[in-house]
Amino acid sequence: MSANVSGVKHTRGFDVIKPLSVSVLIAIMLPLVLLPLASIFVFGTSNGLTSFWNALVAPEAIFALKLSFATSFWAMIFNVIFGLFAAYVLSRYAFWGRNAIIVMISIPTAIPTAVAGFALLLLWGPYGLLGRYLPPDMQIMFTPYAIILANIFVTFPLAFGVIMPVLETMSRSLEEASATMGASRWQTFWYVTLPSLRGAIVGGALLTFARAVGEFGSTILVSGNLAGRTQTAPLYIFSKFNEGQVEAANAVAVVLALFSFVIFSVLFFARDWLEAD
Amino acid sequence: MKRLCLSITLIFAVLATTDCLPGPMDGSDGSKGVVITVYGFSIMKEPLEKSIFPAFAAKWKAEHGSNVSFITSFAGSETVTNQILQGAPADIAVLAIERDVDRLVQGGAVKNDWRARPGKGIVNTTPFIILVRKGNPKQINDFPDLAREGVQLIHPDPTSSGGAQWSLLAIYGSELKKSEAASGAEDIPKATQLLHEVWHNVISTPGSAREARTSLETGYGDALVTYELEGLMMTQAGEPFQVVVPKATIFSEHPAVMIDRSLTPEKRPVVEAFMNYLWSDEAQQAFVKHHFRSVTNDLFNQANPEFVKIELPFTIELFGGWDKAYPDVIQGVFINQIKTR
Repeated sequence: MSANVSGVKHTRGFDVIKPLSVSVLIAIMLPLVLLPLASIFVFGTSNGLTSFWNALVAPEAIFALKLSFATSFWAMIFNVIFGLFAAYVLSRYAFWGRNAIIVMISIPTAIPTAVAGFALLLLWGPYGLLGRYLPPDMQIMFTPYAIILANIFVTFPLAFGVIMPVLETMSRSLEEASATMGASRWQTFWYVTLPSLRGAIVGGALLTFARAVGEFGSTILVSGNLAGRTQTAPLYIFSKFNEGQVEAANAVAVVLALFSFVIFSVLFFARDWLEAD
Repeated sequence: MKRLCLSITLIFAVLATTDCLPGPMDGSDGSKGVVITVYGFSIMKEPLEKSIFPAFAAKWKAEHGSNVSFITSFAGSETVTNQILQGAPADIAVLAIERDVDRLVQGGAVKNDWRARPGKGIVNTTPFIILVRKGNPKQINDFPDLAREGVQLIHPDPTSSGGAQWSLLAIYGSELKKSEAASGAEDIPKATQLLHEVWHNVISTPGSAREARTSLETGYGDALVTYELEGLMMTQAGEPFQVVVPKATIFSEHPAVMIDRSLTPEKRPVVEAFMNYLWSDEAQQAFVKHHFRSVTNDLFNQANPEFVKIELPFTIELFGGWDKAYPDVIQGVFINQIKTR
C-alpha cells in the first residue's frame, strides 16, 4: 500500500500543507469567535483590575452568578436522569411511536428560547392554563423554580442526545453475558451498562449545565428579572448593558466565558479517563 | 455498587441540607421588614434607587420603627406592562405612558381611580430633546434635520418602549405646532411626511430609551430623540455628547400606579404611604435633582438652571389625550402608514 493515501504529495522533511491548514483554521476562528471573546476581556478590565474586581463582587452580581449555577445544576440533574432513562427505554425496546418520541425529545433544540419562556408562562403563569388553579403562595412563575423549568425545557435534548447514540451502538454481548450469569436486570444495568456510559453521562451533564448557565431568552420571560431575587447572570449582564454600565456587564461576562472554557477543558482532558473500560 | 450508591446518597444529602437555591437578597425572611416590589420604565432607575427609596425607608423607620426595603426591575414601559399583565409580582409600577396604565386597568391589575392622586396620577415630566455627538458634526438643530439624507438615527422600539412613542409624538406634534403657529392651521400631511422621512433614517430600534442611549454611547448613529434628563446625565458625566433643543417639543408625563391586584393587607399601608410620598416635596425635589421636572411645584424646576427652555412646548393634550394620540398617531400614522411601508 502506498503511503500517499490522502493524495497529497509528501515532500521529505517538511509538509507545507500542515502549517497552512492550521493557519487557515485559526484565521477563520479569529474574527468569528476568538476576537469577540477577547474584546470582553479587554473591555472588562479596561478601567483597571480593581474596578473589574469591584464590579464582580457587587452583591447583585454574586447573587446572579449563584442563582445561575444553582438553577442550572438542578436542570442538569433532572435532564441527565431523564436522558439516561429515555435513552435506555428507547434503545432497548422497539414499540409503536418510538420514533415519534425521539423526535419530540429533540423539538426544544429548534424552538426559539423566547417561545419556550412564553409557552411556560402561558401554562404556569398566574393566568395560565394550569397556573390559574395554583393557590397564590404556590405560584411557580417569577420564582427561581420557573428558571429551573425554563432551563429544563431548553436543555431537554442535550444529555439524551449524547447518551442515546452511545447506548445504541454499545455492544450487547456484555449485557447478555451478565444476564446469562444470573444477574438481575437492575444488576446488569448498574454494573455493566452504567459504567460504560460514564463518559456520555459526564459529557451530557456538562453540556447541559453549560448551556443552562448561558440561557437568556426564556429566563427573561419567566423570571420577572428582579435584581437580587430572580435575576440570573445573563439577565444581569443584559440589564447592566442596557443601563450603560458596560463595566459591570463585562465583569460577569468574563466569569461566564472563563467558566465555559473550564467546562470544555474538563470535557477534553478527562476524555481518556471517561472513555476507559 | 455500594460505593456508588453511597456517594450518590451523600451528594444528595449535602444538597438537601445546604441551600438548594440561593435565597432572595432582599430579606423576605422578615429581617428587612416589608419588601416593596417596583417595576419601572428604564430611566426611572436613578432617582428611585439613589434618592427616593433610601429616603422613604429612613422616613418610615423614623415614624414607625419598622424596616422597608425595595426590589426592582427596569425595562421598556410596554415590556414592564406586559410582564405585570402576565402576573409578575409588582406592587407599584412607574410607567412612561398612560396607555400602559390603561392596559393594566383593563387587565384588572390596577383600579380605575388611579388619577385621583395629585398631579392626576402623573409623578413627573420631562421634555423630549435631540442628543447628538459633541460639536454636532451633522448640524442637527431641530427635528426636520433628522430627515436629512445621511443622518443615522437611533430610535427605541415603539412596541416595547414608552419613550419611543413620546419621541414619535414629539416629532409629529412639533410640525403640527409649528404650522399652527405660522398659519393658524395644523398641517397634518406635512407632519406625517416628516415622521416618515425621519423614520427612514432609523438604523436601530433598541428595546428601551436607556438601551438606545447605550447604543449611541457605544458608537452607533448620529442622533437620538430622548428624554431631556438622559441628555443632562450624559453631558454632566462629561461624555462627548450635546443636547439640541427643538423649537417645539412634547413634555412626557409618567404615571405611577399601585398594583391593587396583588397587595396583601399587611403590605397595603406601606405601599399606600410610599405612593403618597412620591408626590411629597421631598420626593419631587429628588426627581428634580435627577433631572426630571416636578409636577407639583414649578418653583422646584425654576431652581434648577440646567433645564432647557422650549419655545413651543406641548403635551399629550395637543392630540386630545392618550385615548386619541395612540389610535390616531401611533397606530393610525406610524404603524399603518409608515412602519409597514
